Amino acid sequence: MKAKRRVVTAVTPYKRRPTVRKIKPAIAPVVRRPPIERPAAEQPSNGAGAGTAAGGGSPVGPASASRAVAMHDLRSSDAAGDQGAAVALSVDLGRGLVLENPILVASGTFGYGTEYADVVQVQRLGAICCKGTTLRPRVGNPTPRVTETPAGMLNSIGLQNPGVDAVLAKYAETWAGWKVPVIVNVAGESIADYTEVARRLDGVPGVAGIELNISCPNVGRGGLQFAIDPEAAGAVTASVRRATDLPLLVKLSPNVADIRPIARAIEDAGADALTAINTLSGIAVAPTRQRPLLGNVYGGLSGPAVKPVGLRIVYEASQAVRIPIVAIGGVTELADVLDYLAVGAVAVQVGTAIFADPTLPVRLVDQLAAECRARGLSSYASLIGTALPKKAAAPSAKGVEYRP
Amino acid sequence: MRLAGAELIDSREILPGQWLQDYRAPEIVAGARAGQFVHVRTGDYSGLVLRRPFSFNTIDVASGTLSIHFRTIGRGTEWFTRLRPGDRVDMLGPLGRPFEVDPRSRHLLLVAGGLGIAGVRSLADEAIRDGRQVVLLFGGATARDVYPSSLLPDEVEYVVATDDGSVGHHGFVTELVEAYEAWADQAFACGPLPMLRSLAGLAATRRRRLGVASLGRKRGAGRPLPAGSAQARRKAFLQVSMEQNMGCAVGACLGCVVMDAKGAPQRVCREGPVFAADELEWETAWQ
Ligand SMILES: Cc1cc2nc3c(=O)[nH]c(=O)nc-3n(C[C@H](O)[C@H](O)[C@H](O)COP(=O)(O)O)c2cc1C
Ligand code: FES
Repeated sequence: MKAKRRVVTAVTPYKRRPTVRKIKPAIAPVVRRPPIERPAAEQPSNGAGAGTAAGGGSPVGPASASRAVAMHDLRSSDAAGDQGAAVALSVDLGRGLVLENPILVASGTFGYGTEYADVVQVQRLGAICCKGTTLRPRVGNPTPRVTETPAGMLNSIGLQNPGVDAVLAKYAETWAGWKVPVIVNVAGESIADYTEVARRLDGVPGVAGIELNISCPNVGRGGLQFAIDPEAAGAVTASVRRATDLPLLVKLSPNVADIRPIARAIEDAGADALTAINTLSGIAVAPTRQRPLLGNVYGGLSGPAVKPVGLRIVYEASQAVRIPIVAIGGVTELADVLDYLAVGAVAVQVGTAIFADPTLPVRLVDQLAAECRARGLSSYASLIGTALPKKAAAPSAKGVEYRP
Repeated sequence: MRLAGAELIDSREILPGQWLQDYRAPEIVAGARAGQFVHVRTGDYSGLVLRRPFSFNTIDVASGTLSIHFRTIGRGTEWFTRLRPGDRVDMLGPLGRPFEVDPRSRHLLLVAGGLGIAGVRSLADEAIRDGRQVVLLFGGATARDVYPSSLLPDEVEYVVATDDGSVGHHGFVTELVEAYEAWADQAFACGPLPMLRSLAGLAATRRRRLGVASLGRKRGAGRPLPAGSAQARRKAFLQVSMEQNMGCAVGACLGCVVMDAKGAPQRVCREGPVFAADELEWETAWQ
């Protein structure tokens, strides 16, 4: 049985990913995998019937040099010690969403792309994921909403946003004039909500793609998060897929027992790419010790503290699906980018680190190019997937391999 | 808003656990106004992932220096106390919106609760430079917490209240307001939420209680002013400088909001930190 791992080299020919659909299917896309409710044990990660017909492992197209649309000349003046050699940094996340470089900024940490404009060269970013956007305006959670934790922070913003129509009215025109693609992060409480937001984003100039934040309670299922249930995750993805031709990224939650069936369900439902991870659920206690600190009690943990979890999720998901994965979680320096690439991500998002170091994402672009140059690489593609098992690992039934 | 290096010139503990630090940061100081703040990065990103916001305590454009005043309340502020003159930190600023003094105001009442002095201190300098009279009411828990009068301009009339009566008025600083509210053309406050709430209550009833005409009635009377606008502040009798936990300090993360009177969240870092008191919602304040 062939491993479904990514073998990504500069010469691997691009194979069309089976999930790309050029036209809106009238019905839910055909599920290529066995039903996801099957016990995980019967569903090895490199499972048969997973569409791995190709020998030699399927290339994650976006990372392979042949798919990189252009050799982007990164002869930027600020790249340290730069010898001027062009390095291909562009990445294709599917459906024509081609980023000039693989460094994005994470939803909720960069507003709508305008807030940091005084101090950040916004146009040099690979893409901007804007703040979570819902159908109707939301005032968000009570304060305090943020607090620092060891090597990280908790936030419980509560998806404060003015609603999709107001977001588009206020920013779409600005975004349309930008070189940097803006991916609108979408949240909702029902499949209908998500779908309607996607419909309103569809075809709007300035909107380059959609990132579904499925770490939201599903009101229709008693508040159970979409992100923890393969069926719900697949259903919301499929519904949004039918509503729009925009490139569709779906953001995974780390707060699950086994990410692989969820990742597969989302892939099968027609997502173009996965992003991972969203924050980890946590709480902090007020100094008085009389109550939890955050107004909403619960918050999401982010920052360097979550990087090992992000690595684990990307490592597992990248062996389970063939669509590209954009890694998120604790990226604070080039080494973190390289680590995420090594476990199979084709790009990364920077979140919390922006608060301390707003210019970090742009510097990472230059540093990644310099790193490739120093290693004599003409593309960063060969950095991808190097830490994944070389041979198909024994399929895990457990999902989380941690055994103390 | 600029991102720039700042060099520590002087650092001293002015009260137990309270520090005053002077930094040279010409890019940050240029254009800075009283009420605004800086967001300063610690050198320890692996442990402390957030910057720390500090109000401009003083601003000296001529020498390109600013000062900040803080209490050591955690690992971040302790990190700052270990800096030595010559050390450099990374500052983002000036941030937020400043106090707005009506050009016609002659008498300014400043009210500070504890560390809140850091929020209004620079306004005293600005007002005196502009030839206005300033009364500063200060409230602290005890004599040990009272901001040294030697650090204030001579022209400021400084009135102190302490909770335990160890110096000055025995009681809350808000109890001193009555003696000055008729004299004052405008008031500016920073401190704990209960203090601000009671000042907002006093300000809301002031006109009725004193029969004083408020400034700016002629201009734009009746027209609603957008929350956070300079005009709304300039027109208000009371402006407050709000505090909230912050992430980005540039308006991107929505971590720092307070509720306005219409039930809409306003960002302390962007629409604030200075608000007209009547723009905010005080009764069921979120905290
Ligand atoms: C203040 C804050 C707000 C966030 N808001 C959103 C959001 O609206 N939608 C979303 O999908 N993720 C949101 N996130 C999660 C981040 O996009 C990211 O997944 C997470 O912070 C992990 O990355 P990091 O460690 O680099 O911050 C938010 C994170 C923070 C810190
Ligand atoms: S601190 Fe981020 S919006 Fe104010």
